[in-house]
Amino acid sequence: MGKNIIVELKHINKRFAKVLANDDVSMVIKEGEVVALLGENGAGKSTIMKILYGLYHATEGEIFINQKKVEIRSPKEAMACGIAMIQQHFSLVEAHTVTENIILGHCKGKIDFTEKEKEIQALADQYHFDVPAGELVKNLTVGAQQKVEILKALYLNAKIIIMDEPTAVLTPQEADVLMGFVRDYVAKGNSIVFITHKMKEVLEVSDRIIVLRNGKISGTIEEGEIRTVKESELVNLMIGHDLEIIKAPSMTGTDNRKNRLEVEHVSLRSKDNIPLLDNVSFSIKEGEILGFAGVSGNGQQELCEAIYGARKLHAGKVILDGEEISQLAVKERIEKGIGYLASDRYRYGMISGMTLSENILLKASYLKNWVKNGIIKWKELNNYTENIIQEYKVKAPDHEVVIGSLSGGNQQKVVVAREVDRGEKLIIFDQPTRGLDLGAINYVHKTIMREKSKGKSILLVSTELSEIFALSDRIAILYKGKIMGIFQNGELSTEQIGLLMAGYELKEA
Amino acid sequence: MKKKEILCDFLLWILFAILLGLTISFSFLPLLSVNPFQALTVMFSETFSSTYNMGNILIKTAPLILTGLAFTFTYKANLYNIGAQGQFYSGCICASAVSLALGGKLPGPIVILLAGMAAILGGAVVGFIIGFLKAKFNANEFLISMMSTYVIQYVMQLLLRTSLQESKHEYLKTDYLDKSTWLPKIIPGTSVSLGIVISLLVAVLVWYVLYKTSLGFRIRATGLNQDAARMSGISPQHQYMLAFAISGAIAGLAGLVEINGMQHMLLTGFDTQIGSYGIGIAILANAHPLAVVPASLLFGFLQVGGTALGHSTDAPASVIDLLQGFVMLFVLMSFYFRRKAELNKLKKKRIVTEEA
Repeated sequence: MGKNIIVELKHINKRFAKVLANDDVSMVIKEGEVVALLGENGAGKSTIMKILYGLYHATEGEIFINQKKVEIRSPKEAMACGIAMIQQHFSLVEAHTVTENIILGHCKGKIDFTEKEKEIQALADQYHFDVPAGELVKNLTVGAQQKVEILKALYLNAKIIIMDEPTAVLTPQEADVLMGFVRDYVAKGNSIVFITHKMKEVLEVSDRIIVLRNGKISGTIEEGEIRTVKESELVNLMIGHDLEIIKAPSMTGTDNRKNRLEVEHVSLRSKDNIPLLDNVSFSIKEGEILGFAGVSGNGQQELCEAIYGARKLHAGKVILDGEEISQLAVKERIEKGIGYLASDRYRYGMISGMTLSENILLKASYLKNWVKNGIIKWKELNNYTENIIQEYKVKAPDHEVVIGSLSGGNQQKVVVAREVDRGEKLIIFDQPTRGLDLGAINYVHKTIMREKSKGKSILLVSTELSEIFALSDRIAILYKGKIMGIFQNGELSTEQIGLLMAGYELKEA
Repeated sequence: MKKKEILCDFLLWILFAILLGLTISFSFLPLLSVNPFQALTVMFSETFSSTYNMGNILIKTAPLILTGLAFTFTYKANLYNIGAQGQFYSGCICASAVSLALGGKLPGPIVILLAGMAAILGGAVVGFIIGFLKAKFNANEFLISMMSTYVIQYVMQLLLRTSLQESKHEYLKTDYLDKSTWLPKIIPGTSVSLGIVISLLVAVLVWYVLYKTSLGFRIRATGLNQDAARMSGISPQHQYMLAFAISGAIAGLAGLVEINGMQHMLLTGFDTQIGSYGIGIAILANAHPLAVVPASLLFGFLQVGGTALGHSTDAPASVIDLLQGFVMLFVLMSFYFRRKAELNKLKKKRIVTEEA
C-alpha cells in the first residue's frame, strides 16, 4: 500500500557484558500501522525498543527517522522525535494527580492547574478515555493508570507509541478498550509498536508481525500474509525450529505406581487480583516426569512456587504422598523432600558471595545433615562438597571458592546437585538448562533421568519443547495460568502442542 | 597459603591508610599553632609513659569492642544498627538498676551476673523492637534505630530524676554502686577491669556464632541474598528480628562493662559517642568480628593519645575527632583503591569475573 517509512533501525547490536541481547536487528516502522514485536521473555523485544526510546544505547547500528540518521541518547530526545514508550511498569507519581503526572517535566513557571486540567480532560475525552484529570493516580485502577501513560504520550504529540506488554496487567474488558484506542490512534496516521508474547492479541490488531528469538529476528509476517498466517507457524518462529522429537522414554509400569504429588484446583492471584493460576489440577506418580510446556510467563514460575510453598494459594490443595501440604512453609516442605531449582539462579538459587560449601548448606540449614545442635559440621560439609565437585565434574579448584566466580554451567551443576539431594521425593526443575552450554545441558538431562530412575517424581518446566519431549513421560501445556491439557508424550504433534501453547483448544478430530 | 597472602596484602593496605590518615591530620595541627612533631612526641610519650595510661587504652577499648561488634552483627544481615548508643544506655540503666537494688544484699559475683543478664536483656529488647518494626512493617531500620537512641536517652534522664536518682537528690546521677558489684580489676596499678576480658570473649563468640553455627549462617545468607534465603526456607523477617536482638544484646552488655567496670554509677550524658565510634570501628574492621578488636584498640589509643595532646598542648580536645575522622576516611578509601587494584589485576590476567 506504500505507506511511508518513518523509523528505520539498521543492524542494531546490543551487548550486556557477555550477553548479546540484540544481534543484527533491522526493522522499519511505517506510518499508520501497528507493528507487533513477538517473542518469548528475554528474546530481546524490549531491548530493541528501549534502544529506539533512548534508554539503552546500541553497541552497533544506526537509527533513521524520516530518512535522516539520528542519534537518540535519552528518552527526551526520543520524545522530541515523536517517539513515546509505555513501560511495563508505569512511571507515574502515585501521590500526584493525573494532570500533574502528564505535565510533569513539560511546564515552566507558574502553572494554571484549572486550565491544564481542562486541556487534559479534553484530550482524554477525545480518545474516550474514562480518566478524571483531577484524580490522584494512586486511586486509579491499573487500566486507568495505563491510560494516563498513554495520555502522557499523546500530550507530547507522539507519532509512535511503543507499548511493552500492555495487556499483561489488564482485565479482558480493559484490554478491549486498549485495542479500540490502538485502532483509533493508528487511523489518524500514527504508529504503534506492540511488544508482546501473546499471539492472539497480536493477530487481532497488528498489521505486521516481527518475531524475535534469542536477540535475532527469526521471521517477519508482512501485511499481506497476516490473515493467512497460522498460529503454529508463529509458535515455531518464537520457540525455534529445533523441534525434532527425540525418542520419548517408555512409560511402561508407571500406571501401577501411586501418585506422589497431587495438585487439586489450585488458583493463585496477583496483588492486583489478576489470575496467575486458574484451577490447576494434575498429579505426578513416583518415578514419573511431568513436563510443562508453554511460552514463558504463562504461570510456570508461579506454579512451581505454589508447590514449593513460596506463594500462598488462593484456592486448592497440594498433596504430597497423601498428606496435604498446602499450609506448610518452605522450610517444612524442604523437610518433606521437595527440591526446587528456580529458573532465576542468581536471584533465588544461590548466594554469589558465598562458597560452594555454604551454597550446598543453604537449604539444609534447619536440617540435621551437616548441623548438630546448631553447630555446622564444616568438615563433613566440605568433604561432601568435594565429592559433589568430583561427581558432577564441577570446574572449581575447591569447596572454598565463592560460587559467583564459577561459570554459569558450573554454578548450575552445584545448585542441581543440592536440589537433587534435598528433593528426596519430588524435584521441581524450572528451566534447568536455560543459558547453559551443550555439555552442561547434557549433564543436567542425565541427572534428571537418573533421579527419575530412582523413583523420584519430577516436575519439569521448560520453554524448550525439545527438552520436554526428550525427558517427559507426560506433557502438560500451560497457557495464561490454565492447563490446556495433559497428554502422554508422543500423543501430540509439535504443531498441536504449539497451538495449545498459543491458547487454542484442540478441535476434536 | 593464598589466604595468607590476601590477609597480608589487606593488612598492609590498612596500615598504610592509618599512617596516611595520621600524617594528614597531624599536618593540620600547625593551623592550631601546635607543632605536629612535638604533638606526636607528646602523644606517644604520655600514652606509654605509665602502665596507668596504657591501661586507660584498654579501658576505652573494652566498650568500643562491644559497640563495634553490635554494628558488625546486623551489618552481616545487611541491616544498619545506628542505634547502638541507645541499646548501650538501655544496658547501662538495667545494669545499674540491678546493681543498686541488689548490691550488698547478695554476693557480689551473683549481682554482677544478674546485672550482666539485665544489661543484655535491656539491649536485646530495644534491638528486638527495631527488628520487629523492620520485619513487620518494613520500616527503615536506619531511622528507627537512630531515633530509638533519643527515646532511651530521655527515659534515662527521667529515671535519673526519679527512681534512680542519688539519695541526695542533687545531681542527675545515681548513687555509687556497692563495691562488691564492681567488676574486679585485673591489672595491678591500673583501672583495667574484667570488662576487657568480657569484650574479647564476646568478640570470639560473635565470630563463632557467625561462622560456625547455622544461626549465623542464616543471618549471613539473608544479608547476602534475602530472596535466595527466603527460597531456602529461611525467613528474612525472623533473621532481622534475631540479628537486631543479638546486636542490641551486645551493645547492652557494653553497659555493664562501663557501669560496673568503670563509672560505678549511672550519670546523664556520658560516653555519648560510643555508638557512633562503634560504627566507625566496624567499618574499619571491614565488619569482621575479630578485626573489631585491633580496630577498637586503635580508637582507644587515639582517644587516650588525643586527650594527652589536649592537656599538654594548646590543641583542643576535639583533635581526637579529627584524628579518628581522617583515619577512618583513609581506611575507607583504601578499601576502594584496594578493590580497584584487585580488579585491574584480574583484568590483566583476563580472568572473567561475574559480578552478581
